[in-house]
Amino acid sequence: MVKGLFNISRWEEAFANMDTFGEGMLMTIKVAILGLLVSLLLGIIFGVISTTKVKILQIISRIYVEFFQNTPLVVQVFFYYNGLPQILQGILGTSRPVRLSKLLLGVIGVGFYHGAYIAEVIRTGIEAVPKGQTEAAYSQGFTKIQTMRYIILPQTLKLILPPLANQALNLVKNTSVLALVAGGDLMYHSDNIVSNSGFLQGYIISCVLYFIICYPLAALVRRLEIRSKKTPTPKKMKPMEVA
Amino acid sequence: MKKRVLSMLMALMMVVALLGGCSSGSKDSDTATTAAGETTAGNTEDPGLQAIKDAGKLKVGVKVDVPSFGLQNTATGEYEGLEVDIAYAVAAEIFGVTPEEAKEQGLVEFQGVTAKTRGPLLDNGELNLVAATFTITEERKLSWNFSTPYYEDALGLMCLESSGYETMADLDGAIIGVAQGATTKDAIAAYIAEQGLDIEVEFQEFDGYPALSAALSSGNIDVFSVDRAILAGYNDDTTKILPERFGTQEYGVATALYAKELTEVVEKVVTDLLSSGEMDKMISGWGIE
Repeated sequence: MVKGLFNISRWEEAFANMDTFGEGMLMTIKVAILGLLVSLLLGIIFGVISTTKVKILQIISRIYVEFFQNTPLVVQVFFYYNGLPQILQGILGTSRPVRLSKLLLGVIGVGFYHGAYIAEVIRTGIEAVPKGQTEAAYSQGFTKIQTMRYIILPQTLKLILPPLANQALNLVKNTSVLALVAGGDLMYHSDNIVSNSGFLQGYIISCVLYFIICYPLAALVRRLEIRSKKTPTPKKMKPMEVA
Repeated sequence: MKKRVLSMLMALMMVVALLGGCSSGSKDSDTATTAAGETTAGNTEDPGLQAIKDAGKLKVGVKVDVPSFGLQNTATGEYEGLEVDIAYAVAAEIFGVTPEEAKEQGLVEFQGVTAKTRGPLLDNGELNLVAATFTITEERKLSWNFSTPYYEDALGLMCLESSGYETMADLDGAIIGVAQGATTKDAIAAYIAEQGLDIEVEFQEFDGYPALSAALSSGNIDVFSVDRAILAGYNDDTTKILPERFGTQEYGVATALYAKELTEVVEKVVTDLLSSGEMDKMISGWGIE
């Protein structure tokens, strides 16, 4: 098994598929970017409404988060793949099941899944800012919105950036779930290449390609972590004009 | 800053070492390369039949998802099908009992395999033989020993009854699902070219037949194409099989290249079953056309 890894002709054969790898990598990147946008949107909406005082919004957000955090992504994607086309057929009354594009499937899959995690990140971020900050802002005459905008959110943002970037990193790797439903992503193509050739070079190439996408994100996480530990220094402000 | 540059450099080095190391190390690789797997165990000693007798069990790879050939009964966990029976016949020959006794005494240890896993499992000695709708090809003969074919099959195309497809010529723009590591994709492309059909089809590859069947019934693929024997097990009143027969292929029992003694026994059992007409009875007994 290991000996085969040092066989140059197998490497040549694996590299001959570089076009296919590229096609898969492009798909993976597309799914990752769109999936990240969807998950951020969902995360912000559900994260913010779970910190409001409205009970029903809190419950809705809780249900969303708990459901997606506590079921495997693979099951969710299998459900979207095998179930959604028929459900949509029923709703829209078409003659055939409504086929979802693989891109959409991936974006929904990782978007909803990571949206739940991001909602939690945002909720804990908002709750982590001490209550005294809000009270101090009110005492200085800030309105509710101004307090959020100028006092709470800037502090939240610094706290949540490292875990957010971490979610983005995991999201990229989780796009590989598409391989199980013939999704045309990087893992799908590498798995096909490996099973057609019978040797493992394809997996190594795909590891390297995933690494190329993920390493910059991991580096970003580390940088943000270091930055979030620093004590804030006041910005240089222009002297206020006296009216 | 310095630290970051350093870590980037380290990562880059790792990648280069991985790739470079692999190609430069190729000179000490003296194993023959074959197209179909992490072979060739030619330098491995033939453990002979004695090793199997000592173990008291014959280890056989079969399909678990092909009705009538190799299927694991979900209720009992038992393996059943034509290829399972062939495995018992081989075990009976080795241990000097009848096939029924071999079954009762549990002389065969079955393991489920797929098109992707059966070759490597034979090579690393995890399995003594494989009877798993294994098509004999010239390329594969370089990697494994095959018995005389015990069944001849063609490829088929299965679609939903409601799809309105009648022949292959209707399949323009269709998505055809095939199994990973199978020869189906090439065979279909060759058939389309040979017949001069003016159609464009797209292929998607799946990890197993249940996944393919689910993809067909959920409408994600238009056609499920694989060996007709396998298709028959998935055909029900919502689906139909198109009339085209193409890509004729033969199934054989595979053994590792080094297992010379076992190969001879397997060959003897299969040819005996064929010449005595027992094989035909077994095939029709399992309801295979």
